[in-house]
Amino acid sequence: MPTADGELAIETRGLRKTYRSVRGRRVGVEGLDLQVPVGGVHGFLGPNGSGKTTTIRMLLGLVRPDRGTASIFGHDVPRHLPDVVGRVGAIVESPKFFPAFSARANLRLLADGIGAPRERVDAVIDQVGLSGRAKDRYRTYSLGMKQRLAIAATLLKDPDLLIFDEPTNGLDPAGIHEIRRTMRGLGDQGKTVLVSSHILAEVEQIADTVSIVARGRLVASGSVAELIGGQGGPAVRVGLAADDVAIATSLLTSRGLVVRREDDALLVDGADAATVNRMLGEQGVWAGELTVRRADLESVFLGLTQHEVPGGRDHRGGRRRRKEEARDTTSGAGAASGPGAAVASTTMGEDA
Amino acid sequence: MRLLRVELRRLWLRRVTWGGLLLALLIAGLAVLSQISAATPPSEREIAEAEEFYAQELEYWEEHGEEDVAACEESEADDPDPAADYGCDQMEPRLEWFLPTATTFVPAPEMREAGTDGIEPGDGDDPRIAEIQESIWSGWSGIGAAGEYAAAFLMLAFVVGVSFVTAEQSSGALGMWLTFEPRRSRVYWSKAAASAAGTLPLVVVGWLATAGGIYTLHAVFGTVGEVSGEDWAEIAGFSVRLVAAGAACAAIGTALGVLLRHAVAAVGAAAVVLWASVAFAFSFGSAQRWLPTVNLTAWLEGGTRYSVAEDVRDDAGVVTTTWTTEVVSATQGGLYLLAVVAVLTLAALVVFRRKDVS
Repeated sequence: MPTADGELAIETRGLRKTYRSVRGRRVGVEGLDLQVPVGGVHGFLGPNGSGKTTTIRMLLGLVRPDRGTASIFGHDVPRHLPDVVGRVGAIVESPKFFPAFSARANLRLLADGIGAPRERVDAVIDQVGLSGRAKDRYRTYSLGMKQRLAIAATLLKDPDLLIFDEPTNGLDPAGIHEIRRTMRGLGDQGKTVLVSSHILAEVEQIADTVSIVARGRLVASGSVAELIGGQGGPAVRVGLAADDVAIATSLLTSRGLVVRREDDALLVDGADAATVNRMLGEQGVWAGELTVRRADLESVFLGLTQHEVPGGRDHRGGRRRRKEEARDTTSGAGAASGPGAAVASTTMGEDA
Repeated sequence: MRLLRVELRRLWLRRVTWGGLLLALLIAGLAVLSQISAATPPSEREIAEAEEFYAQELEYWEEHGEEDVAACEESEADDPDPAADYGCDQMEPRLEWFLPTATTFVPAPEMREAGTDGIEPGDGDDPRIAEIQESIWSGWSGIGAAGEYAAAFLMLAFVVGVSFVTAEQSSGALGMWLTFEPRRSRVYWSKAAASAAGTLPLVVVGWLATAGGIYTLHAVFGTVGEVSGEDWAEIAGFSVRLVAAGAACAAIGTALGVLLRHAVAAVGAAAVVLWASVAFAFSFGSAQRWLPTVNLTAWLEGGTRYSVAEDVRDDAGVVTTTWTTEVVSATQGGLYLLAVVAVLTLAALVVFRRKDVS
């Protein structure tokens, strides 16, 4: 997935890492081929335990790969990491600073380590909105403030590549919004932002390109539009009375539409809600619910990973929770969903 | 150098380091306080009591001295050893035996071990034993008492060295640091060097406060004694060697912290080794030469000695235990310390370079 001029910010080939423990050997990353183009925001998606953090650690020289190669801006890492580390800012998992030191002291140490001027410390602290708490000990910070401080640390170098590993974990909605905006802003400035996450909506909102990994392997990669487009057009979910399901199925298929059964409803591919509604109405069949479903990153992700992930049940559990939340917020307006699809918009009334 | 400066700054931003410095001063204070009674010259009342006791003894001697001398000479004559000397001609009481004495800052020559019991039987001809017995560290003195506390400052340097790296590992800050400076060898050397150099104030301040405080105490009470130029040179040499040992202990602490990852494990391991080498010293026999405590003492005091027991069974089956004294030189002690630092540091460096950082 290189840019037009073929330049890659990150490239891995056959990257492999296993961990040994008393219970045997566990594969963290299994032959990962990853390409991150220069510029913009690149989502690095995968379920928990799919190898995202391990990959990032290998890129940063924190973990030694068993096999394979990795490069950042064309420099082999970890061997030539010192040549390029000045261009890379990273937060791996949760921010980790010295708890007893103030934010400013923590950043000054880092700045001194790379020879950055002291004024840069105050500038980045100000940039992330922590000026008022710069003298406070890091341990007194909330999770959101810790994340912001970590971002400030990455900005000390004014890097070309920023790597954020699950940057919104534990943040409140305002914090999430702020981090997202920061990442998108950095991408818009021409920097390359690699953001790993298992929160797909978050990545979908800010990423230009994505790579999806499962069980340590790359399962899909491309622009967000390409990946979503590969899932086909929108579908209409039609809720019907039990007696009408068979009639409606016959009716719609006779008009050349592709119809699938989903619980007590029908999923009609490739048609808009108004057309479906009109077809059924003309024959005296009235839908109790019409919902337009568009493919989104989540549906792509689940389609690619649900059979790959040992923790897939957790994933569906999370999805069920989101489904319930969606139901709550739409007050029964028909925001149901199932594996392979996700609610993207609108009730019948809005659509019609 | 930049990394070293950063690490030094980090070391002295830590409360553990400042706590260590305060503790060093506290230890120095306790050392001075504990020396007060020893440094204080006898009071008039104590002298009067001693003179009174002497007078009583003299009175007794005048009444029974001849009998006691005769009994003594009789016993001496009965002794199968023809060279036996019971000192019967020195039985008359003398006032100096009864007068209390104050400990001086350095021991007077006659108060050093060589001046009291001298070279022990079976010591062989090693002239270094006499040198050790004649040194200011043999015998009761203010500087000797100060020297007893030197190990505490070394322990402080060790603990601060351990904590310096284990805290960074446990907080995860090491991972963040390595994303800024991924050259691990440089990172390790900067930490080890910062630990070795940065903890020196603890040792220096602690030692100066202890030795200086005790000297001041003796000066105030007028019990400094005669401190020769040689004695001052020996104290200066001890101080320099103590500082070097402090750096070594901090470097060892850093290495153990990296190798064992947890402060408790590193400090516990060192404590067990030191305890075992003290508690079971004699059971090591001639191998005491390689015990850390023996070598550390040898380095600090310019040489030390240890005793080895040898059981000899004669034809009648009677077992006789003979004690021999062996010497460990300061050179061996220094090389030993250097070797420990080198081995542990290299092992820690290899581990640090290769380990996965979370």
